[in-house]
Amino acid sequence: MNTRDTSSHPEDLLPWYVNGTLEGAEREAVARHLETCPRCRDEVAWLARLREQVKEAAPGATPGELGLRRLLREVEAEAPAPRRREWWRPALAAAVVVIVIQSVLLVRPWVDDGAGIVPLGGSRGGAVIQVEFRPQATEAQIREVLQAVEGTIVDGPGALGVYRVRLEGEGDQRRRLEEAVARLRARGDVVIHVAAD
Amino acid sequence: MSAGDRAGEGGGAGVESAEALLAAIAGGDRGALASFYRLFHGRIYAFVLKRVAEPALAADILNDVMLQVWRHAARFEGRSSAMTWVLGIAHHKVGDALRRRGREAGHEELDEHMADEAAPAAFDLLSGLEDAGAVRRCLERLSDAHREVVHLAFFEDLSYPEIARIVDCPLGTVKTRMMHAKNALKRCLQGLLEGGR
Repeated sequence: MNTRDTSSHPEDLLPWYVNGTLEGAEREAVARHLETCPRCRDEVAWLARLREQVKEAAPGATPGELGLRRLLREVEAEAPAPRRREWWRPALAAAVVVIVIQSVLLVRPWVDDGAGIVPLGGSRGGAVIQVEFRPQATEAQIREVLQAVEGTIVDGPGALGVYRVRLEGEGDQRRRLEEAVARLRARGDVVIHVAAD
Repeated sequence: MSAGDRAGEGGGAGVESAEALLAAIAGGDRGALASFYRLFHGRIYAFVLKRVAEPALAADILNDVMLQVWRHAARFEGRSSAMTWVLGIAHHKVGDALRRRGREAGHEELDEHMADEAAPAAFDLLSGLEDAGAVRRCLERLSDAHREVVHLAFFEDLSYPEIARIVDCPLGTVKTRMMHAKNALKRCLQGLLEGGR
């Protein structure tokens, strides 16, 4: 008879004991427990057989070389390659900073209260905004800020390192846009610039 | 000789050469990208296909993942293995695709609820695991989040901290999802066994 008493049976660790990735004290504790627990030994046997079945269920055909040709074709269309554009990135970043400062001083643009922001309201999902991330921002940080606003990168980076981000989800698009812009601006550690598309 | 040439030798490149490939890709080496694709595309495709269950869509997502590798290889910081990093990209690409398709993992609550019920004892169900077709059908009925953890644990043999990094969730959530997946699988196999009698 099975119970769910995980305090005395380390059920939650058994899958990783079975796949050989459990380490150190956890592995030792599970091994010790298994010496005296037939129920957990049965569980280990079941999980080991399940693992074999999962491995045997690998997909037969993959995109293979056809997929590689497609990838290289699209990479070719995307040229130039990453390294080649790196040398002028700092200059472009400086240019963006100048433009932003000019915008703030002269035009009262995207930094105002958001009243001037007009969502695209297009047929393909929510509003689209432009975002430039800090060069040192990690993928995890970028993912975090995008998830916070339910944003999906739909294009970019363009020549100036700007991404176009579509705001997913339901509701008042204008309100969602304003909230997203405010949230992204609050993350100055990750985001340099944000504006309506 | 490029990194791509070196890593392509023997077809069994380890962690070091995968990282060297990413460094070369960051420098615009398309040969390294091709080698990286050849090394990892089968595993990435298997991971994606398990979640979306449509070969054409899985091929599109694989292509998107590899394009992301091409564009952002410089962001790989070596804090995890190259495979963990690229599976993390694939995880998010699949999530985007499922949301676009409008059927984001909708069965989690059902599985969570079912997991509260007592699962059949492992020993009684060993025979159920001998029927590969039944196992496949039951795996397909799992929620997306649960199927993903089973795949990463038993197809990829990843540790639970590595899986947590890939799916971007706490360690405890990974273990809980695995427990729920296991119990749901047992109940499903038991149902098929009883139905076949």
